[in-house]
Amino acid sequence: MAVIENTQLRGTLLAIEEINAAGGINGRELVPLIYDPASESAAFGRYAKRLMVEDHVTTIFGCYTSSSRKAVLPVVERLNGLLWYPTLYEGFEFSPNIIYTGAAPNQNSVALCRYLMDHYGPRFYFVGSDYVYPRESNRIMRDVLRNNGGEVVGEVYLNLRAKRRDFQPVIRDISELRPDVIFSTVVGDSTVHLYQSYADAGFDPKVMPIASLTTTEAEVCAMGFDVGEGHITAAPYFQCIGGERNSSFVKRYKKRYGESEPTNMCVEAAYFQVHVFARTLQQTNSMETEILRPMVLGSTFDAPQGPISINPACSHADLWTRIGRVNRRGQFEVLQQSLSPVLADPYLIGYGRSMVSGQG
Amino acid sequence: MSWRANALPSEIAGLDIVVAIRRDEGGELLIRDLQRTRAKVRHVWPLPERLPEDADVIFCDLAPGLANRIPWVPGEPKAAFVVIVPTLPAPDLEMLRNCAPDAVLHRPLTTHAVLSSLILARAHFTYSQRLRSRIEKLDETLRSIRGVERAKAILMAKRNMREDEAYQFMRRQAMTRRVSISAVAAVVVDTEEVLG
Repeated sequence: MAVIENTQLRGTLLAIEEINAAGGINGRELVPLIYDPASESAAFGRYAKRLMVEDHVTTIFGCYTSSSRKAVLPVVERLNGLLWYPTLYEGFEFSPNIIYTGAAPNQNSVALCRYLMDHYGPRFYFVGSDYVYPRESNRIMRDVLRNNGGEVVGEVYLNLRAKRRDFQPVIRDISELRPDVIFSTVVGDSTVHLYQSYADAGFDPKVMPIASLTTTEAEVCAMGFDVGEGHITAAPYFQCIGGERNSSFVKRYKKRYGESEPTNMCVEAAYFQVHVFARTLQQTNSMETEILRPMVLGSTFDAPQGPISINPACSHADLWTRIGRVNRRGQFEVLQQSLSPVLADPYLIGYGRSMVSGQG
Repeated sequence: MSWRANALPSEIAGLDIVVAIRRDEGGELLIRDLQRTRAKVRHVWPLPERLPEDADVIFCDLAPGLANRIPWVPGEPKAAFVVIVPTLPAPDLEMLRNCAPDAVLHRPLTTHAVLSSLILARAHFTYSQRLRSRIEKLDETLRSIRGVERAKAILMAKRNMREDEAYQFMRRQAMTRRVSISAVAAVVVDTEEVLG
Protein backbone atom coordinates (compact mmCIF):
# COMPACT_ATOMS: atom_id res chain seq x y z
CA MET A 1 0.00 0.00 0.00
CA ALA A 2 1.38 3.42 -0.96
CA VAL A 3 1.72 6.06 1.79
CA ILE A 4 -1.20 8.04 0.39
CA GLU A 5 -3.49 4.99 0.19
CA ASN A 6 -2.66 4.23 3.79
CA THR A 7 -3.66 7.75 4.86
CA GLN A 8 -7.05 7.22 3.18
CA LEU A 9 -7.53 4.08 5.25
CA ARG A 10 -6.64 6.09 8.37
CA GLY A 11 -9.19 8.80 7.54
CA THR A 12 -11.85 6.15 7.01
CA LEU A 13 -11.08 4.37 10.29
CA LEU A 14 -10.97 7.62 12.28
CA ALA A 15 -14.50 8.47 11.11
CA ILE A 16 -15.76 4.97 11.92
CA GLU A 17 -14.25 5.15 15.41
CA GLU A 18 -15.85 8.54 16.01
CA ILE A 19 -19.24 7.27 14.93
CA ASN A 20 -18.97 4.19 17.13
CA ALA A 21 -17.75 6.22 20.10
CA ALA A 22 -20.84 8.40 19.74
CA GLY A 23 -23.08 5.32 20.03
CA GLY A 24 -22.97 3.93 16.51
CA ILE A 25 -25.84 4.22 14.09
CA ASN A 26 -29.26 3.75 15.64
CA GLY A 27 -27.58 1.80 18.40
CA ARG A 28 -25.56 -0.42 16.09
CA GLU A 29 -21.80 -0.47 15.67
CA LEU A 30 -20.06 0.06 12.33
CA VAL A 31 -17.67 -2.84 11.69
CA PRO A 32 -15.19 -2.31 8.85
CA LEU A 33 -14.05 -5.22 6.68
CA ILE A 34 -10.66 -4.37 5.23
CA TYR A 35 -8.81 -5.89 2.28
CA ASP A 36 -5.48 -4.71 0.89
CA PRO A 37 -5.26 -5.24 -2.90
CA ALA A 38 -1.58 -4.21 -2.67
CA SER A 39 -2.04 -1.38 -5.22
CA GLU A 40 -2.76 -3.93 -7.99
CA SER A 41 -5.70 -2.80 -10.15
CA ALA A 42 -7.15 -6.19 -11.10
CA ALA A 43 -7.12 -7.24 -7.44
CA PHE A 44 -9.47 -4.33 -6.66
CA GLY A 45 -12.10 -5.94 -8.91
CA ARG A 46 -11.63 -9.33 -7.28
CA TYR A 47 -11.85 -7.93 -3.75
CA ALA A 48 -14.92 -5.88 -4.64
CA LYS A 49 -16.57 -9.10 -5.83
CA ARG A 50 -15.51 -10.87 -2.65
CA LEU A 51 -16.87 -8.06 -0.46
CA MET A 52 -20.22 -8.09 -2.22
CA VAL A 53 -20.64 -11.82 -2.87
CA GLU A 54 -19.03 -13.49 0.14
CA ASP A 55 -19.12 -10.82 2.81
CA HIS A 56 -22.55 -9.46 1.80
CA VAL A 57 -21.27 -5.90 1.86
CA THR A 58 -23.22 -3.34 -0.18
CA THR A 59 -21.20 -0.19 0.52
CA ILE A 60 -17.48 0.06 -0.21
CA PHE A 61 -15.11 2.88 0.73
CA GLY A 62 -11.82 3.12 -1.13
CA CYS A 63 -9.70 3.24 -4.27
CA TYR A 64 -6.96 5.80 -4.83
CA THR A 65 -5.99 5.43 -8.48
CA SER A 66 -8.39 5.73 -11.40
CA SER A 67 -7.34 2.26 -12.58
CA SER A 68 -8.49 0.78 -9.28
CA ARG A 69 -11.80 2.66 -9.47
CA LYS A 70 -12.33 1.43 -13.01
CA ALA A 71 -11.75 -2.15 -11.81
CA VAL A 72 -14.40 -1.83 -9.09
CA LEU A 73 -16.93 0.05 -11.24
CA PRO A 74 -18.37 -2.89 -13.26
CA VAL A 75 -18.77 -4.94 -10.08
CA VAL A 76 -20.73 -2.31 -8.13
CA GLU A 77 -22.76 -1.50 -11.22
CA ARG A 78 -23.74 -5.11 -11.92
CA LEU A 79 -24.48 -6.06 -8.31
CA ASN A 80 -25.86 -2.60 -7.48
CA GLY A 81 -23.48 -1.66 -4.71
CA LEU A 82 -22.20 1.78 -3.75
CA LEU A 83 -18.53 2.79 -4.01
CA TRP A 84 -17.43 5.93 -2.16
CA TYR A 85 -14.34 7.23 -3.97
CA PRO A 86 -12.35 9.83 -1.98
CA THR A 87 -9.74 10.84 -4.55
CA LEU A 88 -9.44 13.66 -7.06
CA TYR A 89 -9.58 12.25 -10.58
CA GLU A 90 -9.74 13.20 -14.27
CA GLY A 91 -13.53 13.56 -14.52
CA PHE A 92 -15.58 12.45 -17.51
CA GLU A 93 -17.32 9.70 -15.61
CA PHE A 94 -20.67 9.29 -13.96
CA SER A 95 -21.67 5.98 -12.52
CA PRO A 96 -24.93 5.72 -10.60
CA ASN A 97 -23.08 3.36 -8.27
CA ILE A 98 -20.25 5.69 -7.26
CA ILE A 99 -20.21 8.72 -4.96
CA TYR A 100 -17.21 10.86 -5.93
CA THR A 101 -15.89 12.95 -3.01
CA GLY A 102 -12.51 14.07 -4.41
CA ALA A 103 -12.06 17.01 -6.76
CA ALA A 104 -13.09 16.93 -10.43
CA PRO A 105 -10.95 18.94 -12.91
CA ASN A 106 -13.15 22.02 -12.73
CA GLN A 107 -12.49 22.13 -8.99
CA ASN A 108 -8.69 22.07 -9.20
CA SER A 109 -7.07 22.10 -12.71
CA VAL A 110 -8.80 25.18 -14.08
CA ALA A 111 -7.91 27.48 -11.17
CA LEU A 112 -4.41 26.04 -10.87
CA CYS A 113 -3.65 26.61 -14.54
CA ARG A 114 -4.72 30.25 -14.37
CA TYR A 115 -2.79 30.90 -11.19
CA LEU A 116 0.41 29.41 -12.60
CA MET A 117 0.15 31.34 -15.85
CA ASP A 118 -0.42 34.60 -14.02
CA HIS A 119 2.46 34.13 -11.60
CA TYR A 120 5.08 32.07 -13.42
CA GLY A 121 4.46 32.06 -17.17
CA PRO A 122 2.85 30.17 -20.03
CA ARG A 123 5.41 27.39 -20.77
CA PHE A 124 4.47 24.13 -19.00
CA TYR A 125 6.35 20.85 -18.84
CA PHE A 126 4.21 17.75 -18.10
CA VAL A 127 5.62 14.82 -16.14
CA GLY A 128 3.35 12.00 -15.01
CA SER A 129 3.02 8.37 -13.98
CA ASP A 130 2.10 6.11 -16.85
CA TYR A 131 -1.55 5.17 -16.36
CA VAL A 132 -5.01 6.51 -17.03
CA TYR A 133 -5.24 9.45 -14.60
CA PRO A 134 -2.12 11.40 -15.66
CA ARG A 135 -2.83 11.04 -19.39
CA GLU A 136 -6.46 12.07 -19.07
CA SER A 137 -5.68 14.81 -16.57
CA ASN A 138 -3.01 16.21 -18.90
CA ARG A 139 -5.43 16.14 -21.80
CA ILE A 140 -7.64 18.50 -19.78
CA MET A 141 -4.72 20.62 -18.53
CA ARG A 142 -3.44 20.99 -22.11
CA ASP A 143 -6.92 22.09 -23.16
CA VAL A 144 -7.21 24.69 -20.38
CA LEU A 145 -3.63 25.86 -20.99
CA ARG A 146 -4.15 26.37 -24.73
CA ASN A 147 -7.37 28.23 -24.14
CA ASN A 148 -5.45 30.69 -22.00
CA GLY A 149 -2.67 31.07 -24.52
CA GLY A 150 -0.11 28.78 -22.88
CA GLU A 151 1.86 25.88 -24.35
CA VAL A 152 3.17 22.44 -23.40
CA VAL A 153 6.92 22.36 -24.04
CA GLY A 154 7.47 18.75 -22.98
CA GLU A 155 5.49 15.71 -21.90
CA VAL A 156 6.83 12.52 -20.37
CA TYR A 157 5.37 9.50 -18.53
CA LEU A 158 7.21 7.18 -16.18
CA ASN A 159 6.35 3.81 -14.71
CA LEU A 160 4.20 3.99 -11.55
CA ARG A 161 7.06 2.38 -9.64
CA ALA A 162 9.72 4.65 -11.13
CA LYS A 163 12.94 4.87 -9.11
CA ARG A 164 15.24 7.79 -8.47
CA ARG A 165 17.47 7.09 -11.49
CA ASP A 166 14.45 7.04 -13.85
CA PHE A 167 14.00 10.77 -13.21
CA GLN A 168 17.52 11.71 -14.39
CA PRO A 169 16.57 12.00 -18.11
CA VAL A 170 13.55 14.11 -17.11
CA ILE A 171 15.71 16.47 -15.10
CA ARG A 172 18.15 16.82 -18.02
CA ASP A 173 15.23 17.56 -20.35
CA ILE A 174 13.92 20.22 -17.96
CA SER A 175 17.27 21.94 -17.59
CA GLU A 176 17.51 22.23 -21.38
CA LEU A 177 13.94 23.41 -21.96
CA ARG A 178 13.68 25.70 -18.91
CA PRO A 179 9.87 25.74 -18.69
CA ASP A 180 8.03 28.22 -16.45
CA VAL A 181 6.18 25.45 -14.62
CA ILE A 182 6.62 21.70 -14.15
CA PHE A 183 3.13 20.22 -13.95
CA SER A 184 3.40 16.85 -12.22
CA THR A 185 0.88 14.03 -12.25
CA VAL A 186 3.40 11.65 -10.74
CA VAL A 187 1.55 9.80 -7.99
CA GLY A 188 2.34 7.43 -5.15
CA ASP A 189 5.75 6.76 -3.74
CA SER A 190 7.73 7.88 -6.82
CA THR A 191 6.55 11.46 -6.17
CA VAL A 192 9.37 11.70 -3.65
CA HIS A 193 11.98 10.83 -6.30
CA LEU A 194 10.77 13.57 -8.64
CA TYR A 195 11.00 16.32 -6.01
CA GLN A 196 14.32 15.05 -4.65
CA SER A 197 15.83 14.87 -8.14
CA TYR A 198 14.61 18.42 -8.72
CA ALA A 199 16.27 19.58 -5.49
CA ASP A 200 19.53 17.78 -6.33
CA ALA A 201 19.62 19.54 -9.71
CA GLY A 202 19.60 22.87 -7.84
CA PHE A 203 16.47 24.24 -9.52
CA ASP A 204 14.64 27.12 -7.83
CA PRO A 205 10.92 26.72 -6.99
CA LYS A 206 10.57 30.51 -6.92
CA VAL A 207 11.02 30.68 -10.69
CA MET A 208 10.11 27.15 -11.86
CA PRO A 209 7.91 25.38 -9.30
CA ILE A 210 6.54 21.86 -9.54
CA ALA A 211 2.75 22.18 -9.55
CA SER A 212 0.55 19.20 -8.77
CA LEU A 213 -2.95 18.03 -7.95
CA THR A 214 -1.76 14.98 -6.04
CA THR A 215 1.21 16.04 -3.93
CA THR A 216 -0.14 16.35 -0.40
CA GLU A 217 1.28 16.83 3.09
CA ALA A 218 1.92 13.05 3.14
CA GLU A 219 4.30 13.18 0.15
CA VAL A 220 5.95 16.37 1.43
CA CYS A 221 6.54 14.62 4.75
CA ALA A 222 8.15 11.69 2.92
CA MET A 223 10.40 13.81 0.68
CA GLY A 224 11.56 16.20 3.44
CA PHE A 225 10.25 19.70 4.14
CA ASP A 226 13.31 21.39 2.60
CA VAL A 227 12.77 19.44 -0.63
CA GLY A 228 9.08 20.30 -0.82
CA GLU A 229 9.34 23.96 0.12
CA GLY A 230 8.09 26.42 -2.50
CA HIS A 231 6.21 23.90 -4.64
CA ILE A 232 2.51 24.26 -5.39
CA THR A 233 -0.59 22.06 -5.15
CA ALA A 234 -4.28 22.70 -5.84
CA ALA A 235 -6.68 20.82 -3.54
CA PRO A 236 -9.96 21.26 -1.69
CA TYR A 237 -8.19 20.82 1.63
CA PHE A 238 -4.86 21.48 3.34
CA GLN A 239 -4.10 20.75 6.98
CA CYS A 240 -3.40 24.41 7.79
CA ILE A 241 -6.59 26.01 6.41
CA GLY A 242 -7.80 26.94 9.89
CA GLY A 243 -11.39 26.85 11.08
CA GLU A 244 -12.69 25.21 14.22
CA ARG A 245 -14.04 22.15 12.47
CA ASN A 246 -10.64 21.54 10.88
CA SER A 247 -8.53 22.12 13.98
CA SER A 248 -10.53 19.62 16.01
CA PHE A 249 -10.24 17.15 13.11
CA VAL A 250 -6.47 17.62 12.93
CA LYS A 251 -6.18 17.26 16.71
CA ARG A 252 -8.10 13.98 16.73
CA TYR A 253 -6.11 12.65 13.76
CA LYS A 254 -2.80 13.40 15.47
CA LYS A 255 -3.97 11.95 18.76
CA ARG A 256 -4.88 8.74 16.95
CA TYR A 257 -1.89 8.41 14.60
CA GLY A 258 0.89 10.49 16.15
CA GLU A 259 1.93 14.15 16.43
CA SER A 260 4.17 14.04 13.37
CA GLU A 261 1.44 12.65 11.08
CA PRO A 262 -0.14 15.35 8.92
CA THR A 263 -3.66 15.21 7.49
CA ASN A 264 -4.15 15.76 3.75
CA MET A 265 -6.89 16.11 1.13
CA CYS A 266 -7.23 12.33 0.76
CA VAL A 267 -7.54 11.78 4.50
CA GLU A 268 -10.13 14.52 4.68
CA ALA A 269 -12.30 13.19 1.83
CA ALA A 270 -12.01 9.61 3.14
CA TYR A 271 -13.03 10.95 6.54
CA PHE A 272 -15.96 13.16 5.64
CA GLN A 273 -17.50 10.65 3.21
CA VAL A 274 -17.90 8.10 6.01
CA HIS A 275 -19.71 10.74 8.05
CA VAL A 276 -22.00 11.58 5.12
CA PHE A 277 -22.72 7.86 4.77
CA ALA A 278 -23.40 7.47 8.50
CA ARG A 279 -25.76 10.42 8.66
CA THR A 280 -27.70 9.04 5.71
CA LEU A 281 -27.78 5.54 7.16
CA GLN A 282 -29.19 6.96 10.37
CA GLN A 283 -32.16 8.20 8.37
CA THR A 284 -32.68 5.21 6.07
CA ASN A 285 -31.73 2.50 8.54
CA SER A 286 -31.06 0.43 5.41
CA MET A 287 -27.85 -0.41 3.58
CA GLU A 288 -29.67 -1.12 0.35
CA THR A 289 -28.26 0.98 -2.47
CA GLU A 290 -31.71 1.73 -3.87
CA ILE A 291 -32.73 3.32 -0.56
CA LEU A 292 -29.41 4.79 0.52
CA ARG A 293 -28.33 6.50 -2.71
CA PRO A 294 -31.31 8.85 -3.17
CA MET A 295 -30.82 10.07 0.40
CA VAL A 296 -27.08 10.64 -0.11
CA LEU A 297 -27.71 12.79 -3.18
CA GLY A 298 -28.29 16.37 -2.15
CA SER A 299 -27.08 15.85 1.41
CA THR A 300 -24.78 18.39 3.00
CA PHE A 301 -22.04 18.14 5.60
CA ASP A 302 -19.83 20.47 7.56
CA ALA A 303 -16.50 18.92 6.54
CA PRO A 304 -13.05 20.01 7.75
CA GLN A 305 -12.55 21.84 4.39
CA GLY A 306 -15.84 23.73 4.97
CA PRO A 307 -19.46 22.98 4.13
CA ILE A 308 -19.77 20.52 1.24
CA SER A 309 -22.70 18.84 -0.49
CA ILE A 310 -23.24 15.86 -2.73
CA ASN A 311 -24.43 17.25 -6.04
CA PRO A 312 -27.58 15.33 -7.02
CA ALA A 313 -27.05 15.96 -10.74
CA CYS A 314 -23.79 14.02 -10.96
CA SER A 315 -23.16 12.37 -7.55
CA HIS A 316 -19.88 14.26 -7.23
CA ALA A 317 -19.22 16.46 -4.19
CA ASP A 318 -19.32 20.25 -4.44
CA LEU A 319 -15.95 21.14 -2.94
CA TRP A 320 -13.69 24.09 -2.17
CA THR A 321 -10.94 25.12 -4.56
CA ARG A 322 -7.66 26.08 -2.91
CA ILE A 323 -4.12 26.69 -4.13
CA GLY A 324 -1.34 26.18 -1.63
CA ARG A 325 2.43 26.51 -1.47
CA VAL A 326 4.62 24.36 0.76
CA ASN A 327 6.36 26.25 3.55
CA ARG A 328 9.41 25.38 5.65
CA ARG A 329 7.33 23.27 8.05
CA GLY A 330 5.95 21.03 5.29
CA GLN A 331 2.56 22.73 5.40
CA PHE A 332 0.67 24.40 2.60
CA GLU A 333 0.07 28.13 2.84
CA VAL A 334 -3.11 29.03 1.01
CA LEU A 335 -2.37 31.47 -1.83
CA GLN A 336 -5.89 31.60 -3.21
CA GLN A 337 -9.26 30.04 -2.48
CA SER A 338 -12.82 30.02 -3.76
CA LEU A 339 -15.42 32.13 -1.94
CA SER A 340 -17.79 29.18 -1.66
CA PRO A 341 -17.88 25.49 -2.64
CA VAL A 342 -17.46 25.02 -6.40
CA LEU A 343 -20.20 22.98 -8.07
CA ALA A 344 -18.86 19.74 -9.50
CA ASP A 345 -18.83 19.69 -13.31
CA PRO A 346 -17.15 16.37 -14.18
CA TYR A 347 -17.74 16.76 -17.93
CA LEU A 348 -16.55 20.40 -17.93
CA ILE A 349 -19.80 21.42 -19.55
CA GLY A 350 -19.62 24.97 -18.21
CA TYR A 351 -15.99 25.39 -19.30
CA GLY A 352 -16.20 24.64 -23.00
CA ARG A 353 -17.42 27.52 -25.06
CA SER A 354 -16.57 30.36 -22.72
CA MET A 355 -12.90 29.45 -22.83
CA VAL A 356 -12.96 28.98 -26.58
CA SER A 357 -14.63 32.29 -27.27
CA GLY A 358 -12.30 34.04 -24.86
CA GLN A 359 -9.44 32.86 -27.05
CA GLY A 360 -10.94 33.76 -30.45
CA MET B 1 -39.94 -33.90 -29.54
CA SER B 2 -39.98 -32.65 -33.09
CA TRP B 3 -37.87 -29.72 -34.15
CA ARG B 4 -35.29 -29.31 -36.86
CA ALA B 5 -31.92 -27.63 -36.37
CA ASN B 6 -32.27 -25.74 -39.64
CA ALA B 7 -35.47 -24.11 -38.32
CA LEU B 8 -33.53 -22.52 -35.44
CA PRO B 9 -32.78 -18.78 -35.42
CA SER B 10 -29.23 -18.53 -36.74
CA GLU B 11 -27.90 -16.74 -33.66
CA ILE B 12 -28.24 -19.88 -31.57
CA ALA B 13 -27.04 -22.41 -34.10
CA GLY B 14 -23.52 -23.82 -34.01
CA LEU B 15 -22.39 -22.09 -30.82
CA ASP B 16 -19.47 -23.04 -28.61
CA ILE B 17 -21.14 -24.19 -25.38
CA VAL B 18 -19.71 -25.32 -22.05
CA VAL B 19 -22.03 -27.51 -19.97
CA ALA B 20 -21.25 -28.06 -16.30
CA ILE B 21 -24.02 -30.38 -15.14
CA ARG B 22 -24.39 -33.67 -13.32
CA ARG B 23 -24.72 -36.36 -15.99
CA ASP B 24 -28.15 -37.65 -14.91
CA GLU B 25 -31.28 -37.82 -17.01
CA GLY B 26 -31.61 -34.01 -17.15
CA GLY B 27 -27.92 -33.64 -17.94
CA GLU B 28 -28.16 -36.09 -20.84
CA LEU B 29 -31.22 -34.27 -22.21
CA LEU B 30 -29.49 -30.89 -22.03
CA ILE B 31 -26.34 -32.10 -23.79
CA ARG B 32 -28.36 -33.92 -26.48
CA ASP B 33 -30.63 -30.93 -27.19
CA LEU B 34 -27.70 -28.54 -27.38
CA GLN B 35 -25.84 -30.86 -29.74
CA ARG B 36 -28.90 -30.90 -31.99
CA THR B 37 -28.47 -27.12 -32.43
CA ARG B 38 -25.14 -28.07 -34.07
CA ALA B 39 -23.38 -26.59 -31.04
CA LYS B 40 -19.89 -27.68 -30.09
CA VAL B 41 -20.65 -28.91 -26.57
CA ARG B 42 -17.94 -29.36 -23.95
CA HIS B 43 -19.10 -31.19 -20.85
CA VAL B 44 -17.19 -30.53 -17.63
CA TRP B 45 -17.95 -32.41 -14.42
CA PRO B 46 -17.36 -32.35 -11.50
CA LEU B 47 -17.76 -28.59 -11.32
CA PRO B 48 -14.25 -27.09 -11.76
CA GLU B 49 -12.81 -24.53 -9.32
CA ARG B 50 -12.88 -22.05 -12.18
CA LEU B 51 -15.24 -22.46 -15.12
CA PRO B 52 -13.72 -22.09 -18.61
CA GLU B 53 -14.43 -18.69 -20.18
CA ASP B 54 -13.64 -19.37 -23.85
CA ALA B 55 -17.22 -20.18 -24.88
CA ASP B 56 -20.29 -18.46 -26.27
CA VAL B 57 -22.61 -19.85 -23.62
CA ILE B 58 -22.07 -21.61 -20.29
CA PHE B 59 -24.76 -23.81 -18.70
CA CYS B 60 -24.06 -24.60 -15.08
CA ASP B 61 -25.74 -26.37 -12.15
CA LEU B 62 -26.42 -24.03 -9.23
CA ALA B 63 -24.03 -25.15 -6.50
CA PRO B 64 -22.79 -23.67 -3.23
CA GLY B 65 -20.06 -21.11 -3.92
CA LEU B 66 -20.87 -20.99 -7.64
CA ALA B 67 -20.23 -17.22 -7.82
CA ASN B 68 -16.57 -17.87 -6.96
CA ARG B 69 -16.15 -20.38 -9.79
CA ILE B 70 -17.21 -17.85 -12.42
CA PRO B 71 -14.03 -16.79 -14.23
CA TRP B 72 -14.88 -13.07 -14.52
CA VAL B 73 -15.86 -10.28 -12.11
CA PRO B 74 -19.55 -9.31 -12.13
CA GLY B 75 -20.26 -6.75 -14.82
CA GLU B 76 -17.54 -8.00 -17.16
CA PRO B 77 -18.92 -11.33 -18.44
CA LYS B 78 -17.09 -13.17 -21.20
CA ALA B 79 -19.95 -15.54 -22.14
CA ALA B 80 -23.72 -15.85 -21.82
CA PHE B 81 -24.42 -17.62 -18.53
CA VAL B 82 -27.32 -19.95 -17.75
CA VAL B 83 -27.85 -21.31 -14.25
CA ILE B 84 -29.71 -24.60 -13.81
CA VAL B 85 -31.82 -24.56 -10.66
CA PRO B 86 -32.63 -27.88 -8.94
CA THR B 87 -36.13 -28.92 -7.88
CA LEU B 88 -34.92 -29.28 -4.31
CA PRO B 89 -33.58 -27.77 -2.13
CA ALA B 90 -34.93 -24.25 -2.59
CA PRO B 91 -32.38 -22.14 -4.47
CA ASP B 92 -30.09 -19.72 -2.63
CA LEU B 93 -31.62 -16.60 -4.16
CA GLU B 94 -28.82 -14.26 -3.14
CA MET B 95 -26.28 -16.60 -4.72
CA LEU B 96 -28.39 -16.74 -7.85
CA ARG B 97 -28.45 -12.95 -8.10
CA ASN B 98 -24.72 -12.68 -7.43
CA CYS B 99 -23.99 -15.08 -10.30
CA ALA B 100 -25.73 -12.53 -12.56
CA PRO B 101 -27.01 -15.16 -15.05
CA ASP B 102 -28.54 -14.21 -18.38
CA ALA B 103 -31.19 -16.93 -18.03
CA VAL B 104 -32.33 -19.58 -15.58
CA LEU B 105 -33.29 -23.17 -16.39
CA HIS B 106 -35.41 -25.14 -13.92
CA ARG B 107 -35.34 -28.87 -13.38
CA PRO B 108 -36.94 -31.08 -14.54
CA LEU B 109 -35.53 -30.01 -17.89
CA THR B 110 -37.52 -30.08 -21.11
CA THR B 111 -36.41 -29.42 -24.68
CA HIS B 112 -38.58 -26.34 -24.96
CA ALA B 113 -37.16 -24.86 -21.78
CA VAL B 114 -33.59 -25.59 -22.91
CA LEU B 115 -34.06 -23.81 -26.24
CA SER B 116 -35.91 -20.89 -24.66
CA SER B 117 -33.17 -20.34 -22.11
CA LEU B 118 -30.50 -20.61 -24.82
CA ILE B 119 -32.00 -17.94 -27.03
CA LEU B 120 -32.86 -15.61 -24.13
CA ALA B 121 -29.42 -15.91 -22.57
CA ARG B 122 -27.69 -15.30 -25.87
CA ALA B 123 -29.92 -12.31 -26.69
CA HIS B 124 -29.55 -10.79 -23.22
CA PHE B 125 -25.78 -11.25 -23.22
CA THR B 126 -25.21 -9.74 -26.65
CA TYR B 127 -27.58 -6.89 -25.83
CA SER B 128 -25.67 -5.94 -22.69
CA GLN B 129 -22.39 -6.18 -24.65
CA ARG B 130 -23.83 -3.77 -27.22
CA LEU B 131 -24.91 -1.39 -24.46
CA ARG B 132 -21.46 -1.54 -22.89
CA SER B 133 -19.79 -0.75 -26.17
CA ARG B 134 -22.23 2.10 -26.76
CA ILE B 135 -21.36 3.58 -23.36
CA GLU B 136 -17.64 3.26 -24.14
CA LYS B 137 -18.10 5.06 -27.44
CA LEU B 138 -20.21 7.75 -25.79
CA ASP B 139 -17.51 8.31 -23.17
CA GLU B 140 -14.87 8.64 -25.86
CA THR B 141 -17.08 10.99 -27.90
CA LEU B 142 -17.71 13.20 -24.89
CA ARG B 143 -13.99 13.53 -24.36
CA SER B 144 -13.20 14.20 -28.01
CA ILE B 145 -15.99 16.71 -28.55
CA ARG B 146 -14.00 19.38 -26.69
CA GLY B 147 -11.19 19.03 -29.21
CA VAL B 148 -13.63 19.33 -32.11
CA GLU B 149 -15.13 22.49 -30.62
CA ARG B 150 -11.70 23.98 -30.17
CA ALA B 151 -10.68 23.14 -33.75
CA LYS B 152 -13.92 24.67 -34.99
CA ALA B 153 -13.13 27.91 -33.15
CA ILE B 154 -9.63 27.99 -34.65
CA LEU B 155 -10.94 27.48 -38.20
CA MET B 156 -13.53 30.19 -37.69
CA ALA B 157 -10.97 32.67 -36.39
CA LYS B 158 -8.05 31.88 -38.69
CA ARG B 159 -9.78 30.88 -41.91
CA ASN B 160 -12.81 33.11 -41.59
CA MET B 161 -15.11 30.12 -41.89
CA ARG B 162 -18.68 30.12 -40.68
CA GLU B 163 -19.58 27.59 -38.01
CA ASP B 164 -21.17 25.10 -40.42
CA GLU B 165 -18.30 25.53 -42.90
CA ALA B 166 -15.79 24.67 -40.18
CA TYR B 167 -17.65 21.45 -39.34
CA GLN B 168 -18.01 20.59 -43.03
CA PHE B 169 -14.31 21.17 -43.60
CA MET B 170 -13.41 18.74 -40.80
CA ARG B 171 -15.93 16.17 -41.99
CA ARG B 172 -14.59 16.29 -45.55
CA GLN B 173 -11.01 15.96 -44.34
CA ALA B 174 -12.00 13.02 -42.17
CA MET B 175 -13.67 11.26 -45.10
CA THR B 176 -10.82 11.89 -47.54
CA ARG B 177 -8.18 10.78 -45.07
CA ARG B 178 -10.29 7.97 -43.66
CA VAL B 179 -9.77 9.05 -40.04
CA SER B 180 -12.18 10.19 -37.33
CA ILE B 181 -13.32 13.79 -37.06
CA SER B 182 -11.68 14.03 -33.66
CA ALA B 183 -8.36 12.99 -35.25
CA VAL B 184 -8.73 15.81 -37.80
CA ALA B 185 -9.58 18.21 -34.99
CA ALA B 186 -6.44 17.15 -33.11
CA VAL B 187 -4.32 17.95 -36.18
CA VAL B 188 -5.94 21.39 -36.53
CA VAL B 189 -5.28 22.18 -32.87
CA ASP B 190 -1.69 20.89 -33.00
CA THR B 191 -0.96 22.84 -36.19
CA GLU B 192 -2.28 25.99 -34.60
CA GLU B 193 -0.01 25.39 -31.63
CA VAL B 194 3.09 24.89 -33.78
CA LEU B 195 2.47 27.61 -36.37
CA GLY B 196 0.60 30.01 -34.11
